[in-house]
Amino acid sequence: MENNHKKGKTKKFGMVIDLDKCTGCGSCMVACMSENNVPFKADETDKRLSITWMLVYKFNNGKAHPNYDECYLPRPCMQCEGDHGHSPCVSVCPAVATDYSHETGIVSQIYTRCFGCRYCMAACPYHARYFNWWDPAWPADMEKYLSPNVSPRMRGIVEKCGFCFHRYQLATDKAYYEGRDELEEGEYQTACTQACPAGAIIFGDLNNPEHMVHKIAQPDAKHHGRPKNPNAFRLLERLGTNPKVYYLSSRKWVRDSGDNYRPDEK
Amino acid sequence: MKIDRRSFLALSIGSTAGIHLTPLPWKLMDDSSIWTQNWPWTPVPKDGAANYVNSVCGLCPAGCGILVRKIDNRAVKIEGLPGHPVNDGRICGLGLSGLQMLYGGTRVKTPLKRTGERGAGQWRKISWRKAIEEISNTLIEQRKSGNPQALGAICSSDQGTTSQLLSRFLNVYGSPNFLRTPSVQSSYEMANALMNGSPKAVGFDLENADYILSFGSGLLDGWVSPVRMIRAHSIWQDEKVPVVQIEPRMSHTAAKADKWIAIKPGANAVLALGMAYVIIKEKLYDKRFIEKHSLGFESWKDEKGRPHKGFKQSVIENYTPVKVSAITGIDEAIIIQLAKDFAGAALPIALCGSGDGTAPGSLNEMAAIHALNALKGAINKKGGVWAVPSPDYILWPELEMDETASKGIQTERFDGAGGKKYAQARSLLNRLPEVINASSESPLQSLLVYNANPMYTMADSIAVKEAFAKIPLIVSFSPYMDETASYSDYILPNHTYLERYEDSATPFGFTQPLISLAKPVVKPLFNTKHTGDVIIKLAQVMGDQIAKAFPWKDYLTCLKTTMGDKWKTLVKQGYIVDKNHKAPDWAKGFETASKKFEFAAKAVNTDPKSDVIAPSELKPADLEGDAKAFPLVLIPYDTMRLASGFIGTPPFVVKTVGDDVLKANDSCVDINPQTAEEFGLTEGDKAMLTTPKSEVRVRAHLSEGILPGLIALPRGLGHSAYDKFLAGKGINFNALHAPKADPISGLDTTWGVRAKISKA
Amino acid sequence: MDLDSALWPKDVQRCSFPKFMIGITVVTLVLIWGVYAALLCWFKGLNQTNMNDYYGFALWIWADLAIIGLGGGAFFTGFLRYLVKKDELKNIINYAVLIGFICYSSAQLILGIDVGQPLRGWFIFWHANVHSMLTEVAFCLSCYFVVLCIEYIPLILENRQLDKEPFFHHLSHNMHGIMAIFAATGAFLSCFHQGSLGGVSGVLFGRPFGFREGIFIWPWTFFLFTWSAAACGPCFTILVTKLTETISKKQLVKPDVIDLLAKISGWMMFTYIIAKTVDTWYWALYTAPSKGFNWAFFYSDNAFYGPWILWLEIVICGYIPAMLLITKKTRQKNATLWTAIILASIGVCVNRWALVLQVMAPPVLPFDTWALYIPSWQEVATTILPIAYGVILIMISYRYLPIFPQERELNPITN
Ligand SMILES: Nc1nc2c(c(=O)[nH]1)N[C@H]1C(S)=C(S)[C@@H](COP(=O)(O)OP(=O)(O)OC[C@H]3O[C@@H](n4cnc5c(=O)[nH]c(N)nc54)[C@H](O)[C@@H]3O)O[C@H]1N2
Ligand SMILES: Nc1nc2c(c(=O)[nH]1)N[C@H]1C(S)=C(S)[C@@H](COP(=O)(O)OP(=O)(O)OC[C@H]3O[C@@H](n4cnc5c(=O)[nH]c(N)nc54)[C@H](O)[C@@H]3O)O[C@H]1N2
Ligand code: SF4
Ligand code: SF4
Ligand code: SF4
Ligand code: SF4
Ligand code: SF4
Ligand SMILES: [Mo]
Repeated sequence: MENNHKKGKTKKFGMVIDLDKCTGCGSCMVACMSENNVPFKADETDKRLSITWMLVYKFNNGKAHPNYDECYLPRPCMQCEGDHGHSPCVSVCPAVATDYSHETGIVSQIYTRCFGCRYCMAACPYHARYFNWWDPAWPADMEKYLSPNVSPRMRGIVEKCGFCFHRYQLATDKAYYEGRDELEEGEYQTACTQACPAGAIIFGDLNNPEHMVHKIAQPDAKHHGRPKNPNAFRLLERLGTNPKVYYLSSRKWVRDSGDNYRPDEK
Repeated sequence: MKIDRRSFLALSIGSTAGIHLTPLPWKLMDDSSIWTQNWPWTPVPKDGAANYVNSVCGLCPAGCGILVRKIDNRAVKIEGLPGHPVNDGRICGLGLSGLQMLYGGTRVKTPLKRTGERGAGQWRKISWRKAIEEISNTLIEQRKSGNPQALGAICSSDQGTTSQLLSRFLNVYGSPNFLRTPSVQSSYEMANALMNGSPKAVGFDLENADYILSFGSGLLDGWVSPVRMIRAHSIWQDEKVPVVQIEPRMSHTAAKADKWIAIKPGANAVLALGMAYVIIKEKLYDKRFIEKHSLGFESWKDEKGRPHKGFKQSVIENYTPVKVSAITGIDEAIIIQLAKDFAGAALPIALCGSGDGTAPGSLNEMAAIHALNALKGAINKKGGVWAVPSPDYILWPELEMDETASKGIQTERFDGAGGKKYAQARSLLNRLPEVINASSESPLQSLLVYNANPMYTMADSIAVKEAFAKIPLIVSFSPYMDETASYSDYILPNHTYLERYEDSATPFGFTQPLISLAKPVVKPLFNTKHTGDVIIKLAQVMGDQIAKAFPWKDYLTCLKTTMGDKWKTLVKQGYIVDKNHKAPDWAKGFETASKKFEFAAKAVNTDPKSDVIAPSELKPADLEGDAKAFPLVLIPYDTMRLASGFIGTPPFVVKTVGDDVLKANDSCVDINPQTAEEFGLTEGDKAMLTTPKSEVRVRAHLSEGILPGLIALPRGLGHSAYDKFLAGKGINFNALHAPKADPISGLDTTWGVRAKISKA
Repeated sequence: MDLDSALWPKDVQRCSFPKFMIGITVVTLVLIWGVYAALLCWFKGLNQTNMNDYYGFALWIWADLAIIGLGGGAFFTGFLRYLVKKDELKNIINYAVLIGFICYSSAQLILGIDVGQPLRGWFIFWHANVHSMLTEVAFCLSCYFVVLCIEYIPLILENRQLDKEPFFHHLSHNMHGIMAIFAATGAFLSCFHQGSLGGVSGVLFGRPFGFREGIFIWPWTFFLFTWSAAACGPCFTILVTKLTETISKKQLVKPDVIDLLAKISGWMMFTYIIAKTVDTWYWALYTAPSKGFNWAFFYSDNAFYGPWILWLEIVICGYIPAMLLITKKTRQKNATLWTAIILASIGVCVNRWALVLQVMAPPVLPFDTWALYIPSWQEVATTILPIAYGVILIMISYRYLPIFPQERELNPITN
């Protein structure tokens, strides 16, 4: 039995999000909220005070009709590895309340450790981190729907997407009981991946050449995981954050919107 | 003195140092931080045994399969049911938020009777027995006065056992006034009945089409079956199926389409016929279908020998690309190309029905687009529009009508549906305000409202309220305190869809006959009762023939008996689907007199000189309001981020609404920068938006994604009911909307209204 | 004879007690307002501020960094006095220490309000992450604060009445004796935390406006912050001294002392601003463009963060005061000296402003928008709180402690 539980290979969980398929419906956002006990308040229209671990951005090509075009882009936490082994947010946290797991490649967030200095938020160029400005409150009987797998966060601390890490735990627990030490590709899927009506989100182990994410993104190990697929790109590649979320688009202007370019580069 | 002070100091310094050497401060420090990690006001969800229940989502007509994760008796997460024919494990934001409706603060927890003014929110709790007794007494009283037809019911669907129980109740009571809320379905069914001669439901074989031409249908904005549409879209992406979206505003559908063709509002029929012109001229149509299986393509003579122009001739005479271009605002070349692309595809499909599908001249529009499909034979063919048989599992004993009932049921419907003027219509809820407000005493004396919220969803809010005020008795079955429930006399709260059994039949647009069963995921939380039970009880209390019509002990018995041997499978699997269903072939698929597809439906020809699908008068549909006073046109739009009709948007979904749609409590309207400049507006400006019906404050959102001269307002906001997470946010389009009835169908013109805007 | 004159330092004149109390009361009211705001932030949470997820560092963090910069006079004057043996500076070192003490205690107070979970603040020590600038800042800041306390305590003990107590007298005497060690420790710690504060935005490689690469992060940014604090801190000490003189209508420090400090500051500023110019130049020419930005982009969107900031910081509050202080004539002329020390103090504040607030403002994601932020009254009050507290501490210290050794000599009591 013990032998069956040798430590598996290191994983690098990641996503490929197909922007050609994403319709901007927002299901992934809601799936995330309902999976992860994300709180809500009466006015959520100030988006800089609204906790959305998954956020679907909408942007356009800046052209006038009839050349006008729009795109939707879902943004979870990118679980940055950093080109130099430092995630932007992890290296700055003074209390090690957020950490990079070399076993899964997931950037964790330890709510009971975080003391709310918000340095990590300043560090994250993707605005994937959210502060609990208020005490979370679930009116009426809504506390009843809270999932015991994810602890609700208290006021005064930072939270973010952790690739539904509890689902990884549940899946590995299950595998352990069944005497397996490797998970099947579909066994650990995030809530947003599962819900997406378009099937636009693909989730898996970027280190595993059998997995769809690897096949599609074709991460180039020599260049910090930069995608070899010409239609794939990562957000803000030039900053050296080395994210694990890849985007696909057949539209050039969309791919070009993934990073900053000086006017003289265009 | 000196010694005292010195010793005091020594003591204090010593003790300070001493205390720090003890564990006390460190312990306190530690404890206080532990306390912050366990603040008693931050909940800790109780753990327990995880289990799953499969059921059906009841939040929109699509009826997706759901799998609900439970911890002990608490439902903690709704997911899509893998394998379900509609959604196969996928789910939309609204469906995901169902638990916020279940456990949320807008539930009606017990039967209520109004005590104060209508709508004042003053209620008294009442027992189920007492409430049913009081209502039955009133109904018996009314019936005795010989006016059973004064009882009406509004219901979002006429399928499923509960709706059928309600309809049966009305029948045996003696009233023909069962009202279904209008939807895209109403118009499709009408067009289908006229041209296919088929009373059957309509299905779209979208997954197999190879060219999608959508006349404003918000395929990715909540149209008909939101999850299924988005899944289909991904198939189109994989298969590189071209999608063309024709609409004046760049919706999510248009943004994802290969081509967005911005058309002037109200010109869909004209464009469709313009395309038909090209297809006919270039002989690109399906000759086999046209020649063998259609009627009315060529000119013909009727029984009296009067000549009628055929489809071909009317189109060729009137719909030249030049003329069509002028009306639609689309380049001639584009129209021609579009027609060629459509006709060049092997399995194209054209779709229509924006909003509830009742655009002005909607029947013309439906028919024109249906005709376009016909030109390519995209009817009852792979990838096309199918006739889908209605499930016929509800086979209840024939009604025994007493004299009052037999007489009452013969009276003409108060809304005129099926009457002389609107012979084709089955139900015209939209005419309710007009009819009631025109008479001194309301033709409806009692109204039962089930699964509908007309006080919010009907156009021209003021007229609607005026009409409802004139109805002496309004009973709502809503589980939530929605606008109509707030304005009723009794609320007899139903269980929510997560607490009850409920069957539903093939959702509109689906091609495979399907029966689904929702079942209680959790035990009812409050003192609510299944509406089916209430109707059965009500009937039984009323006695005689009425009681006899409902021989079941309770709703569950009725449902089980109705389902017969399907029950077991339904309980286990959640649905029964006929996966092998194929469209009837052309030879058998049409139930018109000619057994063919009929281009010109004689029945609709109120004016013998014109033919329904090819009006000789070439102009976009009329709108309410003076074009000088109101130089702009306001159109509504739907988005997946707002529950437009069926239910109040739950907090999670409201959270996904962009700040270009809702900002604090203001609705934002889309407006083209050019138009904005004309009216002195810049991004985010507060503005007054005025229509012939009302004036409201909005904010301007500038977008190149809308044609100049238009303003677009999202639907689903402006609720006065529900809780602080929804109530008071934004504007209800219906408050601004001036409806105009389609002369043939009688359905509303819901796509727009004249408007003006100025800086506030 | 006043009520409390027995507590005054020997042979000096102070204003009447009622007048003093009126002054104290006015400032205390401001203090109470600030305390009330701070309590709101503690008990109701940081929703009392207008900070948001884009502006997680805001007004008071800027104030925090600014006062730490301004408080740099303490360590640098101490350094000059005890290590470089600029003996004249003993006449201003007390005040420099007091100002430093105020600045650093305020900074700690602000941090205690700023963090979302103050009761867990000590996790920064317990679960320290050595990679984090804030960890370094927290450690050095706290240690340096202890040093400042140690430097401030003998001053308190010199109160005329306390000094009568032999124990205190000896304690303070002995502490003075070993002050050089603390001054050295203080200077060392200060170099570190000032430097790490400089690194706070410099290491944010996700924020191209603040980010510095290669030698421009280490040691350049660290050096810049320490250097600017060392340059501008003394100017602030002089500024407060001159303000105190103006208010008390007395000369408290001899001009040669001020002149010396001002001259050193001038040269420090001059060297600093050249280094800062080089830093900015490299960032604008290489760092920002390599991330896909034209440097001007960061000053392009709104008047709030316009190019004026750059001008103000580098030229108006950098080169100009440096030149004014280096040049003997302008340094020794009252008006130009005032101008220079005010500009220098503003300069360091503007620098911290840019490196805290402006870092947050420009969008990094190409499809995002600029973020602007206006503080709430609670933030303003909480930020003013330390100023009120500082004024009170200065008022009390000045009244009862022999802060200015030259006061007696410069203001002989005639009657
Ligand atoms: N989440 C959620 N989904 C739902 C529902 C819900 O409540 N919640 N309700 C369901 C129901 S009942 C319905 S009926 C559907 C409604 O869903 P849709 O049919 O998608 O309704 P709309 O978005 O109003 O209309 C689609 C588009 O038509 C465009 N349009 C407006 N006027 C014109 C015109 O004159 N010509 C053309 N070509 N285009 C025009 C608008 O710009 C808009 O983008 O949604 C269903 N789905
Ligand atoms: N403002 C606005 N008006 C619209 C539309 C819009 O999008 N916005 N859309 C138009 C369209 S497309 C349509 S189809 C119509 C729809 O108009 P309606 O058919 O009136 O639809 P809903 O508003 O969905 O009404 C459903 C109400 O039933 C209640 N309900 C929900 N579940 C249950 C249940 O299980 N039992 C009972 N008894 N009640 C239940 C809810 O409280 C809800 O308010 O509205 C049209 N008018
Ligand atoms: S759920 Fe899927 S389609 Fe919808 S917004 Fe998210 S990624 Fe896009
Ligand atoms: S996206 Fe932001 S929060 Fe997530 S790992 Fe990267 S820097 Fe950290
Ligand atoms: S806010 Fe929390 S997670 Fe972020 S840096 Fe501070 S302590 Fe670390
Ligand atoms: S992976 Fe999980 S936590 Fe992250 S956005 Fe998706 S649902 Fe939310
Ligand atoms: S599409 Fe309709 S039925 Fe399906 S999950 Fe969404 S709300 Fe429920
Ligand atoms: Mo509808």
